Amino acid sequence: MNEFNDIELELSRLKPSAPSVNLEPRIEAALAQEITATPTAGVLPQRRIARFNWFAFGVSAAAAAAVAMFAILRFDQPAHTEQSAVAARTSPAAQENRAGTARPEAPTTFVPDGLTRVVYHTRDEGLVYHNKADAPVRRLRSRARETLQWKEPGTGASLRVSYPTEEVELIPVSGQ
Amino acid sequence: MENVATDEDWRVCFAQLGPGLVLFARQWVRSAADAEDIVQEAFVRFWRKQHSIQNRALLFATVRSIALDLLRRDGRRARREAEVVADSEQCTEPEFNFADENQQQLAAAVDRLPSEQREVLVMKIWNELTFADIASVLGISQNTAASRYRYALASLKKNFVAHE
Repeated sequence: MNEFNDIELELSRLKPSAPSVNLEPRIEAALAQEITATPTAGVLPQRRIARFNWFAFGVSAAAAAAVAMFAILRFDQPAHTEQSAVAARTSPAAQENRAGTARPEAPTTFVPDGLTRVVYHTRDEGLVYHNKADAPVRRLRSRARETLQWKEPGTGASLRVSYPTEEVELIPVSGQ
Repeated sequence: MENVATDEDWRVCFAQLGPGLVLFARQWVRSAADAEDIVQEAFVRFWRKQHSIQNRALLFATVRSIALDLLRRDGRRARREAEVVADSEQCTEPEFNFADENQQQLAAAVDRLPSEQREVLVMKIWNELTFADIASVLGISQNTAASRYRYALASLKKNFVAHE
C-alpha cells in the first residue's frame, strides 16, 4: 500500500472515450493503400542531369583568391624586412635612429591564441524517423557560441571572431 | 522475426490501445479529429516498418514524434497551441466517460497538471506502460519518469481532496 493508492484507483476508474467509429476503417484503408501501392520511387533509376553549380564555383573561387592573397602577403613581408634592414645598415640617418628611437620592423603575424565553445542551450527533441529510416533516432539540438582568437606576439594586438552555431545530433536508438 | 506487426494483428492492437493512444495524442492537439489523424498515421507507419508489436514504447514514441512534427510543420497551429498553453498552462483536454461529478472534477484536475507530468500519467494510468517504457518514449531516466508520476499523483491528491 502506498499513499497514492486511492488516487490511482480513482484515476483508473476514469475511462477514456472510445475513438470515433470511422477511425478503424480509415486505418484499414490506409494500410491497404500502403500494401497495394507500387513502390516505384525507389526502383526507377533517376535520370542524372549534369548542371554546373555556380554557387560552388563562386565559393571555390573566393576561397582560392583568399589563399592567394594570404600567400602574397606572407611572401612580401620578409622581403620588405630585408630591404629595411639593408637600408638601416647603409643609411646614416637610419643609424642615428637605431641609436635613438628606431622602431623594430617585424612582420605582423597573428598566431592562434585560443578557441572557446560555450553551449548555452541543449534540447532533446525526442525520437524521430530521419529520412524515412527504418529505425528511429534521437534528435538533440544544441546551440553554442564559438570564439576564435589570434594574437600578434610582437605588438600584443589581438583579433577575435565570435559566431553562433547550431548543431543537430542524431543518435541511433534501439527500441528493443 | 516473431511478433512482427502484420495485417491481422493491428486490429487487436487497435482495440487494446486505441482509446489510450488517442488520449495520448490529444496532449498536443486540441481536437479529437486531429488526435485521430495522428494515431492513424502512427499505425500506418508502425505497421509498414513491421516493428515488434510487443514494443509498445515505440508505438507511443511514433505517436509523439508525429504529433510534434505536425506542430512544427504547421506554424499557425503551433502558435495557436502555444497560445493555448500559455493562456491556460494546460494543453490537454482528455475526453473521458464521466460516471459522476467527482470524475469530472478529477479529469479537470488532470487537465491542470503540467504537461510533462500529465504525459507520464496518461502513459502510466490509461496505457499501462512501465516506467522503463515511459523513459524510453520521453528520452528521460526511469527515475525522472517515476518522479514526475509521483508529483502528478501528489498534486492530484492535494487538488482533488481540496475539491471534494
